[in-house]
Amino acid sequence: MILEQLKKAGIDLVASLPDQWLGELIKQCEADPAITHIRLAREDDGVGICAGAWLGGRKAALVCQNSGVLLAVNALGGIAFHHQIPLLVIAAHRGHFDDNQYYQMYKGRICEPVLKAMGLPHWVIDGPDELPMIGDAARQAYLNRLPVVVLLRKKALQ
Amino acid sequence: MKRLALAKLVKQRLRKDDLVVCGLGATEAAFKEAAPANPTYYASDPMGIWASLALGLALARPKQRVTLLAGDGDLLMNLQVLATVATAPVPNYRIVVFHNGSYSSTGGQPLAGKLSFSGVAKSVGFEWAHEARGEDETAKRLDELYARPGPALLDVWLEDEPCPTAPPGPLSQVEVRTLFMRDIS
Repeated sequence: MILEQLKKAGIDLVASLPDQWLGELIKQCEADPAITHIRLAREDDGVGICAGAWLGGRKAALVCQNSGVLLAVNALGGIAFHHQIPLLVIAAHRGHFDDNQYYQMYKGRICEPVLKAMGLPHWVIDGPDELPMIGDAARQAYLNRLPVVVLLRKKALQ
Repeated sequence: MKRLALAKLVKQRLRKDDLVVCGLGATEAAFKEAAPANPTYYASDPMGIWASLALGLALARPKQRVTLLAGDGDLLMNLQVLATVATAPVPNYRIVVFHNGSYSSTGGQPLAGKLSFSGVAKSVGFEWAHEARGEDETAKRLDELYARPGPALLDVWLEDEPCPTAPPGPLSQVEVRTLFMRDIS
């Protein structure tokens, strides 16, 4: 369903770093012959890949955990925001009421305030019914020439 | 060898429709002095992201060759990107490292480690990665680099020359980005 939304938005290049909640989506990206799937070792490389792809006329998305969004703040600010390059980030929104590890909690606490401080649009998707918002977020990114971050709760990724 | 000599050797080997992504600071100064005719995307801060940006460009333009001119400090900052490049489907992607072992724009502070970029590239899965010193060897290795499919990396050792920071040009990154996209569209 998420992959369908990405394809509908014209995205055929996905750079990912795994998260437990993202396993199924990443498996689908890897298996789909219409998607070029690039394996990352660090999330800010995904920002670079998506930005470079857009320069060349190809739409791409970064799939990662919200801690990866935090790690990629400098790349999002310095490349995507500063050069006005749109891209879509699909991130597992770890560390909220639906999570169950001490070490996840800081991510849920600080990710949204950091995105707000950066001036980057972001949306939280609570469940499967709201997944069509991914297409809306992609359109918002391209019209704004800015990265847009979609944060998905556990229920939206099951 | 001086960095301008390397920039000229690369320029001589570029085809008309090749695209270039060029690292900031000393690498940018050298390539601009060499006056390339090819569409070139010049890096800004942050360092460390340009190998992945060039990878994205190569994935978007599979029929064109993309060359990344990477400063050594820049590439070192996100060295793991070479692992991502190594397994990506980009026969059109090549990296030339401007390797002088120091941060030239900030006063020549030495880099951490004693790095062989070609050694790292090979160990993460590059089929072709070499280093070169001096103009003759570099010219020969550059010919090999462009004669075979990528991803491939040539690590070129250079003299350590100072490079004062250039003043800002007339165009912002957004304006330069727009012109680059128009040039290659």
